[in-house]
Order: sequence, then structure tokens, then C-alpha cells
Amino acid sequence: MSAFGAMVWNGFREARRNRVTVVVGAFAAVVLLSSTLVTEVTVATFDRVLTDFGLGMMSLILVFLTIFLSSGLLSREIERRTIFLVVSKPVSRTQFLLARLAGNMLTLAVLMTAMMLIFVSQLVLFQVELNSVQFVAAAGLWFELLVLTSAGILFSSFAGPAVSAIATTGIYFAGHLANDLFEIARWMNDGAVKSLAMALYYMLPNLERMNFRPQATYALSVDASTFFSGVGYGLGWAALFTAAAIFIFERRDFR
Amino acid sequence: MTAISPDAPPIQVRGLSKTYKVGFWFNRTVRALQGLDLEVGPGQIYGLLGPNGAGKSTTIKILMNLVRPSGGTALLFGQPVDRAATRRLVGFLPENPAPYEYLTGREFVTLAGQLSGMSGHELDVRVKEVLGAVEMGAAEKLQIRRYSKGMVQRVALAQALVARPKMLILDEPTSGLDPVGRRQMRDLILAERDRGTTVLFCSHIIPDVEALCDRLAVLVGGRLVREGSVRELLSAQVPTVELVVEGLKMDQVKNLGVALESSQALDGRVLLQVSDTDSQRLLSQVLAAGGRVNSLQAAKFSLEQLFMDALKDSGRTTSVGGEINT
Repeated sequence: MSAFGAMVWNGFREARRNRVTVVVGAFAAVVLLSSTLVTEVTVATFDRVLTDFGLGMMSLILVFLTIFLSSGLLSREIERRTIFLVVSKPVSRTQFLLARLAGNMLTLAVLMTAMMLIFVSQLVLFQVELNSVQFVAAAGLWFELLVLTSAGILFSSFAGPAVSAIATTGIYFAGHLANDLFEIARWMNDGAVKSLAMALYYMLPNLERMNFRPQATYALSVDASTFFSGVGYGLGWAALFTAAAIFIFERRDFR
Repeated sequence: MTAISPDAPPIQVRGLSKTYKVGFWFNRTVRALQGLDLEVGPGQIYGLLGPNGAGKSTTIKILMNLVRPSGGTALLFGQPVDRAATRRLVGFLPENPAPYEYLTGREFVTLAGQLSGMSGHELDVRVKEVLGAVEMGAAEKLQIRRYSKGMVQRVALAQALVARPKMLILDEPTSGLDPVGRRQMRDLILAERDRGTTVLFCSHIIPDVEALCDRLAVLVGGRLVREGSVRELLSAQVPTVELVVEGLKMDQVKNLGVALESSQALDGRVLLQVSDTDSQRLLSQVLAAGGRVNSLQAAKFSLEQLFMDALKDSGRTTSVGGEINT
């Protein structure tokens, strides 16, 4: 295995042996399985509720886990000084950072796959029609998690886990309210405030562009250009956050 | 870019300096290193000795690319320290090593080997070999979180050795080890030197430095204050004589008109240290003043004395800290 592959695998192994990941994974399984109870409250929109609840819960739990894992990805290594034994090997800091990012995304992909298996099993069990948009929504969620992970890594490259977690949570909420911010800015009369709101809109990632869960709930189609532009947008933000994290991480001292 | 040259001096440091910015607004500076020059030749055991805050760990961290220098150059085997490939030739044991606790000892050493470019059967064999060498074979399948401090130190040494480095950089390698562990660590370092490995290590434990080092640098306040082979440094010390005197009080002794290296009251007696050239004069003055000489012996040359002298010569009254500017 290459040095990069070994670091990615180690990141995955760390998450797998972390009690929080295990507990959250078990909790997700229980929540998804119990979503059948929610279907008791509906008669006509049974399939929509099951899809909405399932994808919504997956999103919520995975976002929580992403913030928890990514916000300490670098800072915990620096605080605990585990980084000394890795960065002193013939690997660059950039390789290390990218491997940590990849290890985190691998962990999230495995958890998401497991959750999707439970979710799809339920849909099959209750004879709800499967459609491609449900999978498109899951793929969109993974790219949203990529943006949040790279934001968490950026904050983690210069701040402690608590500050990183708060800042990444802020990015999550602001990212989902970005469209509202844009609408508010459009209707404002005060030029300065309007400019500020517009500037904020463009300075923050609009996570709604990767959110295809409403379309999955209402079985609406998502055309390829909408999906790929959302994915490209997410990749762009992830690359920007990661590049900034690399810039800082390459220059900082580990005392 | 030039290739790594295993024939180049393992360590070359010229005018190395490091200033840390500290405080909430980063408005205070601590000068951890000030114009350090060092060269470590192949196959040597080279010791860095100094009080807390002398700049020993900072030097090592710069060499391992953990800290960026503020000025000067640091080369490993003729290459800049920030070149990742150079570190393939170096094994590093930091002070208070912190391996990943969720891994077993074997997994951790295997990861270290993989990061150094090893793989497959060669890696498996080598991991077993180094874990055996540090006597951790029996505990290799335990998670590191269950290890004692001494076991962590051993497994961290194993990861430093796994890729058969041409140079070992060890920061306080015997800290946390019991006397048996310290002895084993010393034997391992000597065995590595005998294999041709260059060793740079820093320690507060002077007997370890004295027992192991071929050459030595003493750092105080981020500056190099002594450098040379251990033999050269010890022979450069001024020979002194220790006298234990009875029947005179400390103030009487101090008024004898002889320059004392040190004096200490000891339960009705006074322990005096004086240069060899002044010893006869002191002896006759003590006797003339009515004192009795209980014992007289040549003081043993030691690194401890050298260290204390170096500290005194540099004008330090405490053994702690770099130079702080506000």
C-alpha cells in the first residue's frame, strides 16, 4: 500500500474505532428502522413521508458526524502531538491533509452506503416505488458533506476543535439559508446593507445547490445539468476550502 | 533538484534562528534559537545538552520540518529539511511520543513503515524484527491506549527504526523509562552507532549524554556555548580541588583572600572548591586561621560541571527559558 493509501486507510480505521462513530452509526440504524412508525400518521402520502424522513434523518446524522469528525481532524492531531510521528516521515503536509480528508470521506461514504441499504430495504419492504432521484439525493448529500468536511479541515488547520465545530455548523446553516439571504438582498432598499447581504451570499457556499431531497420526496426529476452543476459547485467550494487549509497547514509550526 | 547524497554530512546547520510570536495578539516574541551553527558527521553519536528552553527541541523540530526556521539554513544529507524525500533516511523519536492510541503496537509500526515507502513481506519481517529488538513482541497486538509510558517509548523507538534509517534523531529518548529500560535504550543506541547510523539526541540526563556521546553541543538561551568531543570539552575544564574545613565559619573562610569557585556550609563544616593553582595558598590560609582540613581531593571532571560552568558563563541565573521580548 502506498504512503497516501496507508494514511487514508488509517483515517478510516480511526473513525471505525471511534466510539462516537459507532454509536452514531447504531443510532442511525435505529432511527431509520423506526421511520416505519412515522408512516402510521399518514394514509395517502405514505411513500413521500418514508422518503422524506429517511433522507432527512440520513442528512441530519451524517452532517452531525461530519462536523464532529472534521472539526478535530487536524487540531486534535496537533494537540495530541500524534502529528509529530507522521509528518516526520517522508510525506508532505499536503499529502497528509489530503489523506485525512479522503479518509473522512471514505468513512462517510461507507456509513452512507449502510444507511442507504437500510433505507432502500424499507422502501422495498413497504412496496414504495424506488426512483433514481432518491439516489441522486444521496449523491448530492455526499458532496454537501465534502464541502462541510473541507470547511471543517480549514478551520481545524488554525483553530481548536470547539471553534472549528461552531464555525462549520455556522457554514451548514448559512449554506442552507443562502437562497433566503439572496432573496432578502434583492428586496432591500438600503444600498449598503443590500451590498453586504449580496457579498455574504457569494462568500458562503450555497448548500441548497446540492440538496435534491425535496425532488426525491415529491418524485420530481433532476436533470443532469442541474445535478452536475451542483456537484461542480460543491467540488469548487471544497477545492477552495482545501487549498486554503493547505496554505495555512504548510506554514504553521507544530510546537 | 539535486539528489540526496548519503555521503553529505547528515546534519549541517548554519546561522539557524527561530523566533516565536506569543500572546493573544502575537505581540511578544520568544527567541528560541539565535544563530546556531552545527555539523554532525556520519557515524557519530552527537548530543545536545542544555537547560529547559535552551533551544534543543526547537533545533530538532526544525530538522524534522515540524517548525519553520526564522533564519539560517538546515540541511539533512545536503538537502533542505522541508524536502519530504530526505526524511526517508531519518528515524525520529519525539519527546513524550504520542502514537495513535487506537492502533495496536504492530499496526502502528507497520503504518510507520508504509509511510517510509515499505510494503509487503519485507515490511512484515522488519516490523517483527524491530518490535523484538525493543522487547515489545509480546504486546504487539495490544492497543497502544493500554500501554505504560515505557511501552509507548519503546514502540515509538521501533517506528523510528523500522525503515533502517541512516540517522536517528532522538528527543529525550530515555525519559519515562525505568533503569532497565534506560540501559536497554542506551545499548540500542550504541548498537545503531555500531551499524553506522548517525545519532543526534538531546537529553537532560547528563550521565546518559556522558555515556553515549562522541561529540556534544551545549546550548543556553538559544545559543551554542560549547561544542566539541566529550574528551576535548572535559579536558578544557579548569582543574579544581575540594576541601572540607572544620573550625572556621563561612564568613571567616570568605575573608581568607583566596578566590573560591564555590563554598557550602555543611553541618559545622565548610565545603570549598578552589582552582588547583590556588589550592596550596588556601590550605595554608585555612591552617593559619586556626581551621582544620578534614579532607582534600581533586574534583572529578564531569559534564555536569561543564554544564553548570556553561550556564554561569552565559550569565544565566536560572535554567529556564528562551529570551523573551515584549
